[in-house]
Amino acid sequence: MKKFFSNLTTNQKLGGVALVLGIMALFAGDPYGGTTIKVNEKDIALSTVGNSDKVSVTELADWIIKDRADFELIDLRSEEKYNEYTIPNSQCIPLLQLSASELQRNQKIILFSDDDVASSQAWFILKSKNYKGVYILDGGLNKWKENVLFPKAPINGSKDELVQFEKMKEVAKYFGGQAQTDSSITENTTLIKLPTSTTTKTKTTTPTGKKKKREGC
Amino acid sequence: MNAPLFKFEYFNTDVSLIIAFAIGIAFGIALEKGGFGRATILASQFYFTNMRVLKVMFTAIVTAMLGLYFLSVVGFVDLSLIYLTQTNMLPMIVGGLIAGVGFVIGGYCPGTSMVAVATGKIDAVVYVIGMVFGIFIFGEMFPSIENFFNSGFMGSVTLPAYFNLSYGFVVFLVVLMAIGAFAAAEWGEKKMAAKAGKEKQ
Repeated sequence: MKKFFSNLTTNQKLGGVALVLGIMALFAGDPYGGTTIKVNEKDIALSTVGNSDKVSVTELADWIIKDRADFELIDLRSEEKYNEYTIPNSQCIPLLQLSASELQRNQKIILFSDDDVASSQAWFILKSKNYKGVYILDGGLNKWKENVLFPKAPINGSKDELVQFEKMKEVAKYFGGQAQTDSSITENTTLIKLPTSTTTKTKTTTPTGKKKKREGC
Repeated sequence: MNAPLFKFEYFNTDVSLIIAFAIGIAFGIALEKGGFGRATILASQFYFTNMRVLKVMFTAIVTAMLGLYFLSVVGFVDLSLIYLTQTNMLPMIVGGLIAGVGFVIGGYCPGTSMVAVATGKIDAVVYVIGMVFGIFIFGEMFPSIENFFNSGFMGSVTLPAYFNLSYGFVVFLVVLMAIGAFAAAEWGEKKMAAKAGKEKQ
């Protein structure tokens, strides 16, 4: 055996090393080591085109009022912003920590941030990791403020629209906001004080929810 | 530390150019040392009398492949950050044939011609002038061949992905292929040498 090795030329020894490494490669696995992801293009495109990946702010407000617990509401903004104001019942998971979070694949997950950009990215990340029920809050927190917290009275609205606005007024009250009827206030909504997180998080105001129901009928 | 070093921003673009220059010099020296700076050696590949080009190329491929593969398996190299040339099947076959014909006629490939110019070979200077002229013709003709140039686009394909094999298996196959090629080259060289010997007698 020793003689066999000493009789080999350097080239043959190098060839042998390459062969051994090649055989090892058979069992060494994937060199990409989980840094790449597979995406079902069609599935993703279809859900975007069909808008089936979005939840509107009024829908979400309705779910929260009805106290539905079948979804996880994720605030993707920084912790500071989260502490300043957030939608009730949400939890704060900044975009960077998303992949390390303990979200379950079988949960219904609704993502939001100030607008749609961060939530779209988070949506793509989760979708590519095979999360099934991932949704974006359409328009994000900006639209939430605009349509739920501080809805504006429709100008020359039809009867249906006015009824709808009356309903939204109650919803706004429930979340600690205020409907805008005076046009002078609507000019600078930014000046309106946001409800503090603590007041919105404590859900003691069930009567308003009932009231809203009555008016809706 | 992780590689690719540049992608992980261990140095900036300016430094990367200096490193590229150093690697380029080293590559040129390696080519010259390997005998790739002489047209006679390169051309003898096509007459099967000297298989040095095949041996050097396959050695380089296998070394780089095994190195990249195992370094990425242990997590040092992130393969997904390494640039892959995108594939246009038919245009690449045609381009490869043109380059091959040029290789046989001139006795150099673009890289080795530069090495030969550096060592002062007149034929290489002529070759490089021809190459630059060819680049000029290509540029002038480009609008009329643009459609063909962009046809058959396949994106960044790898053999494992295309044939749906595991990466490790393809590595193993390439190693087998290389060792087979080395053995065949040695055998062929001996045969050709014997034949040449007979003709002389």
